[in-house]
Amino acid sequence: MSLLGKLFGNTSDAAAAQANASAQRLAEWERALNVGGLPSFVEARLGAAASGRAPWLATMTPVELAMVRQHGIRPIAMVSGTCWYHFGYSWTLGHAEGWHAALARLRAEAVAAGANAVVDVKLRKIGLHHEASMDFTVLGTAVRIEGLAKSDNPVIATVPALEFVRLLRSGIVPVGIAIGAQYNFFSPSYEVTGRGLFSTWYNQPLTELGGFWERVRREALSKLHQDTKRQGHGVLAHTHFGQLIKLEREKQPPQFLGRHIVVGTVIHDHRSVTNAPLEIATVVDMRDDESPLLSTRPHGHNAYSSNEEDGPI
Amino acid sequence: MSITNDLPPHAIERLRGLRREGHADGIFTSDFSVNEFLLVRKAGFEPIGLCVGTCVYHVGIQYGSWGKNQELEVLSQAMYHARELAMSRMREEAAGMGADGIVGVKLTVKRLEWSADILEFMAIGTGVVHAKGHTAFKGPKGQPFTSDLSGQDFWTLLHAGYRPLELVMGSCVYHVAHQGFFKSLGNVGRNTELTNFSQALYDAREIAMERMQHEAIEAGAEGVVGVDLFEGSHAWQPHVIEFFAVGTAVTPISTEQDASVIPDPQLVLSVNN
Repeated sequence: MSLLGKLFGNTSDAAAAQANASAQRLAEWERALNVGGLPSFVEARLGAAASGRAPWLATMTPVELAMVRQHGIRPIAMVSGTCWYHFGYSWTLGHAEGWHAALARLRAEAVAAGANAVVDVKLRKIGLHHEASMDFTVLGTAVRIEGLAKSDNPVIATVPALEFVRLLRSGIVPVGIAIGAQYNFFSPSYEVTGRGLFSTWYNQPLTELGGFWERVRREALSKLHQDTKRQGHGVLAHTHFGQLIKLEREKQPPQFLGRHIVVGTVIHDHRSVTNAPLEIATVVDMRDDESPLLSTRPHGHNAYSSNEEDGPI
Repeated sequence: MSITNDLPPHAIERLRGLRREGHADGIFTSDFSVNEFLLVRKAGFEPIGLCVGTCVYHVGIQYGSWGKNQELEVLSQAMYHARELAMSRMREEAAGMGADGIVGVKLTVKRLEWSADILEFMAIGTGVVHAKGHTAFKGPKGQPFTSDLSGQDFWTLLHAGYRPLELVMGSCVYHVAHQGFFKSLGNVGRNTELTNFSQALYDAREIAMERMQHEAIEAGAEGVVGVDLFEGSHAWQPHVIEFFAVGTAVTPISTEQDASVIPDPQLVLSVNN
């Protein structure tokens, strides 16, 4: 430490002051997470960005910046929310909980930034594994829409800024995220297991297991429907994640665990607004990488990138 | 135009041969694709040469206390310092060849196979000059501007009424506390948030973002575009994570363009893939 400290011009006094400051930050975080507020230094940063005293931060590309500016939308700050969630009795329901908690925190930051909406919201997790837990992180750009007053309940859009504007032009507002998550256990009847599960020579549908798996998926979709109904008119579900797991048990027939998670963007359709005609031209694209016009998924989403993930329910 | 004496002779020689204002017979190097090249030209700039800066850095050792959330300042400083060195060497080469700026900067970190605590940092991009010799496009303090935007994005940014100033970044290496055994035991069977973990990620991200914003303020930027956050663990212990925020600080070209002047983009369907 001493050598490196000298290299970087740190004296022990400065180091002590720094340690003190970081302890204070952590205390503020703890308080903020417990009561659902924000630490003073985060409020200060967002407030400075909202009033134009500090530069705005945008996750948008220049194309997106040009397009939102043209529609009277200004970026304010990059906002985020994190919830590290431990799965006790249910992995599946924990996912719904975790995303909702992270979103609530993102919304709190957006309110502090005086935003009308958050666009380009990405769902993320980091690669640190700790027992039966996972982090749920949402990142996005808080924006102000000219002519609208500050909002206590800003719109959270999981679509990139380009798509946000395209939807707005058609009189549709993406208002939030809906999540449907369901899990269940299934113990096959003795009739099936007694014969030695699935060990016949015939082609045959496994009706019992199939029926169970279908019910799990249906339930997840119905929860998605309910979550959507609370927020808007419809949902564009971009993420589906399902697993059917066989659990071997000692001296008992095996059991099955089915779990399914659906995540989507909720839209609010202002039917009174006449749809702007979509005039489409065919072109040769100058881009080398994938055009943002072609990617419909919220980019940067890595939470359910593979079906390989494992964990207790 | 002056070429700094710190550069090795063969680099100076290479720079002399490069194309610049009034030396149309020179030869340029760039890693542009055809489309990028055409759009950079369309934006009114000429590529003059690839600029590169490398830094092989020995990252010191710092251990976090097992049960404590804390920033590992030694590592944060190392990551930041090394990137800054690579960037400034690249910028120096660009200044040497008289570039107004560098577009398409790729900033990479690579672990070397034969050592756990040596990292290789590289910054590479294409130096460009304004074809008509406008000098107002230079970055802060008369240095060449730097940006990780591609040639396509560079064209679009100028069309949106902004010019790039500097690639701004913030780094924070953080030790996430291990949850104590008894505390974990208390959580068995409960679906609950682990607040000390949430807190650690929040704090680390906030520090990285604050540092990036501070750089943007220093550069005199109006805003930062294309911000992204990366989380990485460069062969450190599993609970040590780097949060790295990076983006391009921008400023309006002269006065900010009125929204109505920005051309209305047309919806298109690309037919080439």
